[in-house]
Amino acid sequence: MSSALRFLIVDDFSTMRRIVRNLLKESGYTEADEAEDGVVALNKLRNGKFDFVVSDINMPNMNGFQLLTEIKKDDTLKHLPVLMVTAEARKEDIVAAAQGGAAGYIVKPFTKATLEEKVALILKKMGL
Amino acid sequence: MQAEDQDAVAPGAAGPIHNQIGLLTRQLHNALNELGYADQLRGSMGELPDAQSRLSYIARLTGEAAEKVLSRVEQAKAQHDYIASETRRVVASLVADPVAAVAKGEIFNFLTDVERVTKEADTHLTEIMMAQDFHDLTGQVIARVVNLAATIEQQLVQLLIQTAPPQAAPQPPAEPRREHLQGPVVNPESTPDVVTSQSQVDDLLASLGF
Repeated sequence: MSSALRFLIVDDFSTMRRIVRNLLKESGYTEADEAEDGVVALNKLRNGKFDFVVSDINMPNMNGFQLLTEIKKDDTLKHLPVLMVTAEARKEDIVAAAQGGAAGYIVKPFTKATLEEKVALILKKMGL
Repeated sequence: MQAEDQDAVAPGAAGPIHNQIGLLTRQLHNALNELGYADQLRGSMGELPDAQSRLSYIARLTGEAAEKVLSRVEQAKAQHDYIASETRRVVASLVADPVAAVAKGEIFNFLTDVERVTKEADTHLTEIMMAQDFHDLTGQVIARVVNLAATIEQQLVQLLIQTAPPQAAPQPPAEPRREHLQGPVVNPESTPDVVTSQSQVDDLLASLGF
C-alpha cells in the first residue's frame, strides 16, 4: 500500500470525483484532493505537493488535454504521472493523450479493478 | 395528409389550396436561401436523429443504473435479514446453554457468516457507488443536446431579427461556441474510430509503444 502518495482528482462532475476518491481510498491511497477543471488543478499543483494526477478530459475552462500540456511543459510538474479517465473513446483522443505524455488512459464507465490496475502499473513503472 | 383530411376539402378546392401551399413553401425556401440560413437549419435538423439517440442513451444508462442499484440493495437486504435472524438464534442458544453453543461451533459459524456477509456488503456498496457514474456520462450527453437546442434557437432568433421591421430589429447574438470534444459515444456500432472497451484502449496504447 502506498498510503503516503498524494493524488489530485480532476473532473467537472463532483459525483465522479467522489467515486474516484472512494475507489482510491479502498485501494489504500487515502491522500487525495479534488479540482473541478484544469485551471483549478494547475493552481493546486503549483501550490501543493502531489504525486499523481487522475484527470478527466472534457471539462470547462481548461480541458484535460490542455492540463496535460501545461503539466508537461512545467519543469516542476512534468515528472507527475497523469492518468486520463474519460468518456472520450475516440482513437485519435487516446493517441493524442499518449503522445502528450499521459501515463495511462481509462474509458468511462470503468470498474474498480481497472482503476486499481492502472494506478498500480503506473506506480510500478515509476518505481514507487 | 390523412385520407379523411383530403376528403374534408371541398371538391374543386384542392387544386387552389395545393397551389397556395406550394407558393408558401417556395417563398420560405427562397427567403431562407437569400438570407443564407437554409444550410445552417438543414445542418441542425440533420443533428436531430443524433439528439434522439443521445436521449435514448440517457434513458438506457439511467435505467441500467437504477436496476443495478436495486439489485444490489435487494441482495444486501436479504443478507442483512439473514444475519439479523442468525444473531437472534445464536443469542437464544447462548442464553440457553453457553457451553453447548460454543462446543457445537454455533458461535464460530456465526462469526464466519458475519465476516463473509460484511465482505459481500462492502462489494454491494462499491457497486452502488460505481452505478452513480451515470450522472457524469448522461450529464455530458445532456449538455450536447441542450447545445443543439440552443443552436436551433439562435438560428431562428437570427432569422427573426433579419425579417423584423428596421425599428424593431435588435443586435444579433454572438455565435455559440462549438465544442471539439464529443463526450460519451452513444452508438459505438455506427461510429468508426472509437474504442468500445478498456482492452481496446490498452491494445491501442501498446501498439504505440506505451
